[in-house]
Amino acid sequence: MLELRDVTRAYELGGERAGVFGISLRVPAGTLAVLAGPSGSGKTTLLQVAGLLDTADAGEVVLDGRPVSALPERERCEVRLRRLGFVFQTFNLVPVLSALENVMLPLQLQGATEAVARERAEGILARVGLADRLRHRPGQLSGGQQQRTAIARALVSDPLLVLADEPTANLDHAHGGPLMELMAELSRERGVSFLAASHDPSVIGRADLVFRLRDGRLEDAP
Amino acid sequence: MILPRLALRNVLRQKRRTLLTLLVLVAGFVALALAGGFMTQTFQGLADAAIQGGLGHVQILPRGGLDGDEGRSLEHALPDGEALAGRLRRDPAVAEVLPRIEFMGLASSGARSVAFLGTAVDPAREPRFMAMSDRLADGAKAPGGAGSRWLSADPGAREVVVGTGLARSLGLAVGDSLTLMSTTADGALNAVDVEVIGLEDLGVKELNDRSLCVSLDTGSTLMNAGPARSRLSVVLRRPQDAARECPRLAALAGNGAEARPWFELASFYRQVKLLYYAIFGFMGLVLALVVLLATANTLLMSVMERLRELGTLRAVGMRPGSLMALLQWEGALLGIAGSLAGLGITLVLRAALNALHLQMPAPPGSSHGYELHIHLVPLVYLGTFLGLQAVIQASAFFPGLKAARIRITEALRHV
Repeated sequence: MLELRDVTRAYELGGERAGVFGISLRVPAGTLAVLAGPSGSGKTTLLQVAGLLDTADAGEVVLDGRPVSALPERERCEVRLRRLGFVFQTFNLVPVLSALENVMLPLQLQGATEAVARERAEGILARVGLADRLRHRPGQLSGGQQQRTAIARALVSDPLLVLADEPTANLDHAHGGPLMELMAELSRERGVSFLAASHDPSVIGRADLVFRLRDGRLEDAP
Repeated sequence: MILPRLALRNVLRQKRRTLLTLLVLVAGFVALALAGGFMTQTFQGLADAAIQGGLGHVQILPRGGLDGDEGRSLEHALPDGEALAGRLRRDPAVAEVLPRIEFMGLASSGARSVAFLGTAVDPAREPRFMAMSDRLADGAKAPGGAGSRWLSADPGAREVVVGTGLARSLGLAVGDSLTLMSTTADGALNAVDVEVIGLEDLGVKELNDRSLCVSLDTGSTLMNAGPARSRLSVVLRRPQDAARECPRLAALAGNGAEARPWFELASFYRQVKLLYYAIFGFMGLVLALVVLLATANTLLMSVMERLRELGTLRAVGMRPGSLMALLQWEGALLGIAGSLAGLGITLVLRAALNALHLQMPAPPGSSHGYELHIHLVPLVYLGTFLGLQAVIQASAFFPGLKAARIRITEALRHV
């Protein structure tokens, strides 16, 4: 499914060299994997490289057997749109769109008709328990509801892989636990892989696969 | 449809800022549309004055008749102008042909003599197409003008309508006698006695001080012109065809004549038009610059405030080109809203200003002012809308480029 081969992405931070160095890992299909490690260990950097939001200095990102890291930006866009989903720590929903419209967005960017996008978005929102919040804008939703909307947006176009950066960091324990439970369920149901960056033990505890990072390097390969 | 919807929501997001930008757009639209209506009124007024002042839509002139002072000498005239006029009247495109003799000489009231520029016209045909009677000075305009009337169609009548300035110089009033002296085409000195039957105000002081008008019979007698005419003013059935009809009419008129459309001969009209284009063109440039800066500022601020959101859109697969298109849509919506509001305000202001019957001061060279009447010109409104829209789309380009070039990872970190 997702394979990182000797990926390095370095940058200067406060005069020191930071980033990730020589990371190789593999996330099989239908797996809930977690990148664990303390702040500054390179979790987000690695997630951004894996999600084609950033470009590796060296190494290769392979998605479903296809090397994608060296693709031109136009094709990287297509891969992000059709093969990947994203969940962010701060939810990152478009504030002027309703929950339904936010979830419809990736489908509409793919060129789906309004009716098709609406039907699929309503279905996935119902699946994450937000059938009664379709018309609500992000500002009218709780943190947990916003993150579930973000998960619905990430899943609506049936991606191969969803990348989640600290998905529970802005949620209290009462919401974080059920959210991870939901991600695990959806991963099993849809055969979609999740790669989440987190240092939350409750997230790590639910993972099928854990990659531990420290100072930009993988501590122990599975 | 996602981009227009997203653009609309974004435009409505910062209502106060959007409102301020709209105010600038509305002010720009109103200023340009009203100025356009005023310009149209002015151009139309000047065109009417030139055409109905004697030029007609096309002038048939002896070839080279516009060089030097020869236009007022029958040495260079249309030798059989009357016959030519008759031929041209039979042309289906022609509504009327008005022959004219132009001459100059000395007018004497006995005590005083003053040089004049004279025009002899057909007293029967001329008033049907030219604004002759409109020029007659009434009592309010010139005390001596009370009782003014137009020339009689009686061939034997020896009458003259005198410019108000010339009448003042000669101390003339309606009913007085005047002697006109001039040199005939063959060089002889000739004179006729005429009765002043009217005073005319041509709208330009220099003309009022020098001009007078007599019938073709009187002019022909004074100049011993026979059938010769200085020029023919052709009135067309379709005035807009003036330029197109010239070559055909010139061919009909024969070798010794040329045909010129009215606007080539109305130098005052052309000068004013150029002046207005320069003034209002400069004003338009300044307004366009203001609109450009206001809109670009609004859209750029909007981009800077939404960096994380734009980064998210890029992350979920929106292409850089789509982000540029999004900003173009936001600009387009601002422009459309501004122009629609501007159009409404323009129509209200236009109606209000026209209802006030405001008197404008006399333009340079003119002897009297005119009433402000801003024309309703849909083409001007459309042009203003398209012009403003082009400026706004241009102003959205840089913010769009900024949005398209963001680094996703940096944008996602933006707070």
